[in-house]
Amino acid sequence: MVKLSAKCLLAGDPAVGKSALAQMFRNDGAHFQKNYTLTTGIELLVKAISVPETSDSVEFFIFDSAGKDLFSEMLEKLWEQPNVLCLVYDVTNEQSFNNCAKWLEKLRAQAVGMHIPGVLVGNKTDLVGRRVVEQKQAQEWADKHGLEYCEMSVKEMKNFEAPFNILAKSFYQLYKEKVEIFHSLA
Amino acid sequence: MRSAERRLSAAGAALLVATSSDPEHPAGNVADGRSDTFWTTTGMFPQEFIIGFPERVTISRVAIQCYLVRTLRIERSVSKDPVDFEECIEKDLQHTEGQLQMEEFPLPAFQATHLRFIIKSAFDHFVSVHRVIAEGTAEDT
Ligand SMILES: Nc1nc2c(ncn2[C@@H]2O[C@H](COP(=O)(O)OP(=O)(O)OP(=O)(O)O)[C@@H](O)[C@H]2O)c(=O)[nH]1
Ligand SMILES: [Mg+2]
Repeated sequence: MVKLSAKCLLAGDPAVGKSALAQMFRNDGAHFQKNYTLTTGIELLVKAISVPETSDSVEFFIFDSAGKDLFSEMLEKLWEQPNVLCLVYDVTNEQSFNNCAKWLEKLRAQAVGMHIPGVLVGNKTDLVGRRVVEQKQAQEWADKHGLEYCEMSVKEMKNFEAPFNILAKSFYQLYKEKVEIFHSLA
Repeated sequence: MRSAERRLSAAGAALLVATSSDPEHPAGNVADGRSDTFWTTTGMFPQEFIIGFPERVTISRVAIQCYLVRTLRIERSVSKDPVDFEECIEKDLQHTEGQLQMEEFPLPAFQATHLRFIIKSAFDHFVSVHRVIAEGTAEDT
């Protein structure tokens, strides 16, 4: 039983639902916060999940960042040595999707020369009539940037575990690959 | 001169603590005198392990074989228990693609009952430590 641990950066524009996702994930779907309380600085949440089809697990140290801090320098300090990335946008907010490029660029600058598994997450799929970012468009952008992709509605408790399952799997895969390399060295 | 490393691994009590564990690659592997077995870190940095000697020794040589380690700090203690560590050396290692990092530490002979190795940062998400060599002589008591 291997227990990996990973620093997970949760990033994206203000009000896309990052904190809603983090809370929902930590409390196993017990609570959806309707009122918006913007995050200031960073909030840390810890939760372990098992890697599908194994007896191993990944413990996530989720750094829930403030969306308004896209250009703050403080964020860079708190973002040091990341392991995985969860990049969230709001499917009813085009701007939040367009800004993913800036978030990603900022993250990649933190980990030059390292592969950081990441997932792009479209939230608020419950607001069907107000949707402006289509799945196909987002999926293509994710592919182009080497990210996995999924959609969810934290409000309807739909698919909110998917981003973490995806990240756990990718990170675990990365570990297994590294161990193979370590074996080949001696 | 005796090899503390060899003597310790025979006693099976060389490795005291480590912050990470994969049962297939336990930290004991760093002190088994072999390069083909290794310890892997499984989480965020810093990561560390502590090696204990059954009695106080004078160490004349410290070396490590590892992979993807960036900043390494070595501390020693002369206490009976693994407490009161003080720094011996801190070093930035070079990345050696596809090859073990073989690092010798230029230290004057020093006394220790415990050695603590702290991996402060790395070139990747995970590192491996294959072997720690700590040669020394036991004190006459
Ligand atoms: N309709 C709908 N609303 C959601 C969903 N997820 C979150 N919200 C709402 O969106 C608002 C913002 O959510 P937060 O989780 O606070 O947003 P955030 O990304 O953490 O924002 P910052 O902390 O400012 O960066 C809140 O009012 C939530 O209730 C969803 O799936 N559907
Ligand atoms: Mg928030």
